[in-house]
Amino acid sequence: MSGGYGNGSSRGGPRGGGGRPAAGGAGGRGGGKDAGKRYFFRRRKVCKFCADKIDYIDYKDVKLLSSFVPERGKVLPRRMFGTCAAHQRKLTLAIKRARNIALLPFAAD
Amino acid sequence: MSDRTYEILFIGDPNLGEPEVDALTTLVQGYVEKEGGRIQKIEKWGKKRLAYGVGKHREGSYVLIVTEGGASLVKEVERRLRVTDGIIRFLTVRVDEELRKAEQRKAKRTAEEEKRRGKMSDRTSAVHEEVRQ
Repeated sequence: MSGGYGNGSSRGGPRGGGGRPAAGGAGGRGGGKDAGKRYFFRRRKVCKFCADKIDYIDYKDVKLLSSFVPERGKVLPRRMFGTCAAHQRKLTLAIKRARNIALLPFAAD
Repeated sequence: MSDRTYEILFIGDPNLGEPEVDALTTLVQGYVEKEGGRIQKIEKWGKKRLAYGVGKHREGSYVLIVTEGGASLVKEVERRLRVTDGIIRFLTVRVDEELRKAEQRKAKRTAEEEKRRGKMSDRTSAVHEEVRQ
């Protein structure tokens, strides 16, 4: 992984989502080998679905889905929650199904 | 073709009372069974707030029916759901393939873990062996 900046949590806690990554532009460039002074140690995000071993993302599980969807109901890019590609695809599908049946909003007013 | 598993989730009018929702559910169940579907599960979620307004409703009674049947089942049941009063929205999802894949992944993972654990214990026993000598 690119951002593996040796801080304590290579595997430890599956603290996947948490908050928004504190800095949008604060030097998230690839390796960042010589970025000696960093103000934020960003915890490496682990795909929550991989960590929790969820194979099937159920569109009926609103509680789970809503933790990956902001209030307005947008599907957020992968970098926000660190989901892996395979799970992001499934998540997107589940969100779209949930929208169809009014479990999640298309766009909140 | 073997049969497929479908989840039929529909939202009943929130103005309907409990017995009326039950009646509606039996009605839909009747549609499914008439088309040769085998009911696996019926779940009533009760009244829930909708994420957005459907028609002029802000909430609705959710009912989930899991059934097994052919593709023609969905076609006919959906047509009937569309013309049934008191149903404000429905969604049919075919789940057998996805569930099967999920099952496979799970099996694969447990097998791998099993293997890893096996190796690990081999190694530790080897170490024990050395220590003993």
